Amino acid sequence: MRRLDRPGWAAGLTFTSYGVRFGVRADSERALARLAEFLPPGTKEAVPGFVERLYSIRTGEGERARRGLRRFQLLYADHVRLARTLDARELFERFESDLQLSVAAAARRRVFVHAGVVGWKGRAVLVPGRSFTGKTTLTAALVRAGATYFSDEFAVLDAEGRVHPYAKPLAMRGRDGRQTKVAAEELGGRAATHATRPLPVGLVVVSEFREGARWRPRALSMGHGALALLANTVPARRRPAEVLATLERVVRGAIVLRGARGEAAEVALKILERAR
Amino acid sequence: MRERTVTPRPKARAEGVVVRALGEEVLAYDLETHRAVCLNGAAAEVWRLCDGRRTPEEMRRELEKTARGALPEEFVWLALEQLGRERLLEAPAELPAALAGLSRREMLRRVGLAAGLALPAVASIVAPTPADAASCVPSGGPCADSAQCCQGSTCIGDTCT
Repeated sequence: MRRLDRPGWAAGLTFTSYGVRFGVRADSERALARLAEFLPPGTKEAVPGFVERLYSIRTGEGERARRGLRRFQLLYADHVRLARTLDARELFERFESDLQLSVAAAARRRVFVHAGVVGWKGRAVLVPGRSFTGKTTLTAALVRAGATYFSDEFAVLDAEGRVHPYAKPLAMRGRDGRQTKVAAEELGGRAATHATRPLPVGLVVVSEFREGARWRPRALSMGHGALALLANTVPARRRPAEVLATLERVVRGAIVLRGARGEAAEVALKILERAR
Repeated sequence: MRERTVTPRPKARAEGVVVRALGEEVLAYDLETHRAVCLNGAAAEVWRLCDGRRTPEEMRRELEKTARGALPEEFVWLALEQLGRERLLEAPAELPAALAGLSRREMLRRVGLAAGLALPAVASIVAPTPADAASCVPSGGPCADSAQCCQGSTCIGDTCT
């Protein structure tokens, strides 16, 4: 950390996201300018001061390259090195994923559940799930079917159990595992903005893709529905009492369905039919 | 000399547990183990009666008042066994000698004979850590670069390691 704290940082930024204060310092103005694309929705610039997490980015831009020497780009969060790579994109994506997780874990007055979310007829449809459960694919299919895109990453819940938009572009994964960012408009749909009103949850779909599966979900009780959401709730361990109170409000007003699903496009229509 | 047996008086754990009632069900979160437990109506009813004063037999009689018919003693013990396993009792209730040898299946079969009653059932999960709940590729999963891997792992070849 002492080496990191030596002078030589060319640019810095302090910002808040969902009430959490972050700082970033970089060795070039250009590196800092690139960050904008990777910040969470609703980020606000703040006056410099105490921060809860400090990122340090060293790209080596502006330094004279020595012949035959590969220059690694480095990313630190506080004193922990998160990335050492030759690929600038990889560095910024690592920054994005760590920042998102830090926000989700420490956000004030909001509970972040790992889920895809769309709005439909004044209610929200939640698709909770971890990576590789087909969450983004199903969210994209729901958007193509006419629902409003809220998020493919987090359901951001307030104390009333309503969902706020967290509308970053969808991170669609190709067959090679590489993610491409796709705007809802590119799917022929529309996205909620930060100014969109929060929606009460109408339907929660707990599902996993299974080749050839027929969509025959069963409704879960409120308790089992809350457990299914809790299993995907980022601050579950940090603020269990607040999390349980929020999830209780969600399941009291929503239907929770669980089942294996086949192709997302077919299931999306059935889900929206059920969500009416 | 005959061995003296002490009748247990199970007591629900109150400290270190966050409890929410959801209709007939109860959700309990253990702050020490980070286990979240869902009790169905029958299990929740038994747990409510675990006040440290009632014996299982007294609980059974209490439950019979609200049930439509007679309840076997296994009904209460089935619930107590699950509540104890999930650390929702101050001390696990030891099964009486007559039931101690029974398998869980046999106990379920006997309780299932009681007409018109849902069996006591308990479901639980371990609450995720923030990293568990995050959208990153866990170790062993496929990846294209390290940015996709969960913190602490790196993309080597095409696998998070």
